[in-house]
Amino acid sequence: MLGIALLAAASAQERLVDPASEEAPAADGEHHELYFSRAVYSSYRFPSWRIDYPKADRQFLIGLKKLTNVDVYGGEHAMRLDDPDLRRFPLLYAVEVGRMSLTEPERRGLRGYLLAGGFLIVDDFWGTREWDNFEQEIRAVLPDRPIVDVPLDHPVFHVFYDVGEVLQVPNVHQGMAGGPTWERDGYYPVFRGILDDDGRLMVAINWNSDLGDAWEWAENPYYPLQYSNFAYRLGVNLIVYGMSH
Amino acid sequence: MEPLFTFLFKYRPVVFEDGRFAFETAWPSLVVLGSLAVAALSAAAYLRQRGRLGRRVVLLVALRTLAVALVAFALLRPVVRISAAVPGENFLAVLLDDSRSMRLADDGERSRGERALADFTGDSQLLRRLQERFTPRYYRFAGAARRMEPAAPLAFDGRASDLGAALERVRQDLAGVPLAGAVLVSDGADNSGAELTEPLLRLKASGVPVYAVGVGDERFEPDLELARVDAPDRVLAGSAFAVDVTVRQQGYEGRTVTLTAQRDGAIVATQDVAFAAGPATMARVHLEADAEGAHRYRFSIAPGEGERIPENNAREALVTVEDRREKVLYVEGEPRWDVKFIRQALAGDDNVHVVVLQRSAENKLLRLGVEDPLELVAGFPETREELFAYRGLILGSVEADFFTAHQLEIVEEFVSQRGGGVLFLGGRRSFAAGGYAGTPIAAVLPVVLGERTAEDVVEVRVQPTLEGQAHAALRLASSPEESQARWETLPPLTTRHPLERLKPGASLLLAGTPAAGTSAAGGELVVLASQRYGRGRAAALTVQDSWLWQMHAEVPLEDQTHERFWRQTLRWLVSAVPRQVTLETSAGLVAPGEPVTLRADVRDAGYLGLNGARVTATVTDPLGGERTLPLEWTVENDGEYRASFVPEHLGPYEVRLSAEHAGETVGADNARLEAVDLPTESFGAEMNAPLLRRIAEETGGRFYRAGDVGGLAEDVRYTESGKTVVETAELWDMPIVLLLLLGALGGEWLLRRRWGLA
Repeated sequence: MLGIALLAAASAQERLVDPASEEAPAADGEHHELYFSRAVYSSYRFPSWRIDYPKADRQFLIGLKKLTNVDVYGGEHAMRLDDPDLRRFPLLYAVEVGRMSLTEPERRGLRGYLLAGGFLIVDDFWGTREWDNFEQEIRAVLPDRPIVDVPLDHPVFHVFYDVGEVLQVPNVHQGMAGGPTWERDGYYPVFRGILDDDGRLMVAINWNSDLGDAWEWAENPYYPLQYSNFAYRLGVNLIVYGMSH
Repeated sequence: MEPLFTFLFKYRPVVFEDGRFAFETAWPSLVVLGSLAVAALSAAAYLRQRGRLGRRVVLLVALRTLAVALVAFALLRPVVRISAAVPGENFLAVLLDDSRSMRLADDGERSRGERALADFTGDSQLLRRLQERFTPRYYRFAGAARRMEPAAPLAFDGRASDLGAALERVRQDLAGVPLAGAVLVSDGADNSGAELTEPLLRLKASGVPVYAVGVGDERFEPDLELARVDAPDRVLAGSAFAVDVTVRQQGYEGRTVTLTAQRDGAIVATQDVAFAAGPATMARVHLEADAEGAHRYRFSIAPGEGERIPENNAREALVTVEDRREKVLYVEGEPRWDVKFIRQALAGDDNVHVVVLQRSAENKLLRLGVEDPLELVAGFPETREELFAYRGLILGSVEADFFTAHQLEIVEEFVSQRGGGVLFLGGRRSFAAGGYAGTPIAAVLPVVLGERTAEDVVEVRVQPTLEGQAHAALRLASSPEESQARWETLPPLTTRHPLERLKPGASLLLAGTPAAGTSAAGGELVVLASQRYGRGRAAALTVQDSWLWQMHAEVPLEDQTHERFWRQTLRWLVSAVPRQVTLETSAGLVAPGEPVTLRADVRDAGYLGLNGARVTATVTDPLGGERTLPLEWTVENDGEYRASFVPEHLGPYEVRLSAEHAGETVGADNARLEAVDLPTESFGAEMNAPLLRRIAEETGGRFYRAGDVGGLAEDVRYTESGKTVVETAELWDMPIVLLLLLGALGGEWLLRRRWGLA
């Protein structure tokens, strides 16, 4: 059953990626303050890190540039967790972490990255089973740090936009079909985090929600505006928070 | 030389120096004409022999003429008229140095005090001769002079020598009596720091000559001395600070000694000091201020082999570590990693608080670290008062157009008038690229702005310059070697500002070497430069990603370089920034009985000097007693007030200062000092002959060395001070005249015989 689900997800992924957008934009040769780095990690069965890549990243960055004045590189920027150069890019975005299966070098790389001051945004994983997998993996990376619920009065919800509620952002099919918004047993969106020694978020965990799809399909007139709107607002807040806290 | 002079010229040099020369013959014209005639006849007689003697005749004429001139000189009855004290009618002040330095035994046998007393007390020959003509009045001095009985013992326990005060006291004391002069017996080791010109001018005006007798050696060898310790009075807790110790050496050239620093008795640093050929070497000791309160730092060197004065191998300084909270405003024109990482570096820092004003979108400002909901709510401060509440200012990647013209002006005034510290960071909207050329900020910057477009990003390896290596804020480890090693292994950073030119007077602390193959390769770029600007300090850190010193894969997770760099740099930025009310004391460690001056600088919220304030200091002594002192406006400077007090007890004193104006409190400040038994007399204890000579020469007296005072009694006699008569000293019978006459005539006779003349 699980295998069928995985295959279905894989084929859905292949179908959703716009072939035209597969070609990365040429690097502009300039130095930018921010590179929206996509975490490349080992996973079960298929490379789940690629979900919504690169269109989601590109479309989010278009919005980020319009909404803020951050000096950001406009193209996708994938980085392996065991690449020493990862530490040059203090912001990292990882999706589908329910399928994550880190190797020891990747664990070491991510641990060093986070403890040095890197900020990890986790998105698009659903239900208890995927949570358990992610929790197991992140505990292997940061064994001493608890995962905590992030309340709505936390600065991450107010640092740029005032985000008053955490919406469940559905995948593109369910979003365009009008629902349901959940997948598997992930009925409610949950925003959790792992804090550093000074109480600041070092890992932002967006569970039971899919910001990536909302960015990726924001231009699609059939994808509900409320979800794209929320995804951009929360995404911008995560960037501004990550670069200031 | 003086005995020979006195033998040849019959009198001591003082007679010729002070007297007036004259001829006293009744027939001067007759003597002169007669002499000329004799000389002319002699010359004519010799010239007739010219055919036989040739040019040799000139020598004979010269010798004969000299003989005639000497006879003429004697016949003219030359005299010197000189003022001399009337015997028994004048007083003579004798000042004996009673300070501790007189205990030193320069020759290893007798102390300076014993040598001085041998000449000026008891039944010494000198004293007897002086007493024949004068009535001596004895004084002993260390600080001010005090009368003493001739036979009174001297303790030599004065803590400091103040020659000016001693001479002034004697002048006043004996102003109403005929005073022939003053004999000053001292090693001249004046350590009071007081100005000597005024007392000397008064003595000169009174016409009282000072006869200075120097006791002791002018040079100790071998000897080591901690000549000077320059330590900050106050530092912010958590700061790295440097103390400059000047070590003087004689006889230890080429050697290396160990300098030890102790805080409250515990060793906190040791450092080798290598002596070159010069007499003084400066060592910079790097220390950390980690415990709040007033601390006594002692710097010492172990006595060298055979050292003459080991007591001058240690000095102390009082450093107060303050647990204040300094606010720094960081303005950033866009979301940048520096905001995150600088805030992270200062997390948990109780002494430096960074408030961030960041433009995250056009017309959207993010405030971080504000302590009041209204703080910066309208954006960057519009008034001096609002901006001047901060002690430091960081301008990140934010263009000049972000500010109004008025705001740019108050930023300039923040540094120049308020005395704040400002740090400019590199970024795509910074320096010339931010359009700062031609703005008031351009004057504040320690670098000369380059071209406006500086889009190339240059990777640079950052290294401290020689000045940077000695800078306390840039010390990355406890020892200089470890610190330098850390700098060399730090990952390279990037800059968009290939600035090379500093303003005159600016210091380059960190330099960047561009990576090979880049457009700026070859030249050394400015990474961190600073300059004083008005009352404040401006610094430019041209790199844009110092956070790589925290994040880079080559930097170990436990490494604290980034935190240390920012904590120390920001402390340095705000370390000398004045507050509205600042209290300074003239010294941190003082000897009991030595006056301490309190100086307060009082300013209004816009940091303009406030003159009508009520400024009071409450001094708590070591026994818990309190007294209140009002401070008076000095008139010389706006907002400056002064008062002084004398600590009487050994131990710590606390001074609490408060200032009020128009019924409202302006501010308060505290200072601590400690009255201690300072061994100041062991420092600079060599006999200061130049100083004693100056005192003697400016007052018309003479300088002698102890043990060579035979002529003193005679010299003092020829004074113009007190009751005097004019004496006439006959010169015709000086032995030199007779010897020259015999020489001239004898020489002439010998030559005539040799050349066959009759």
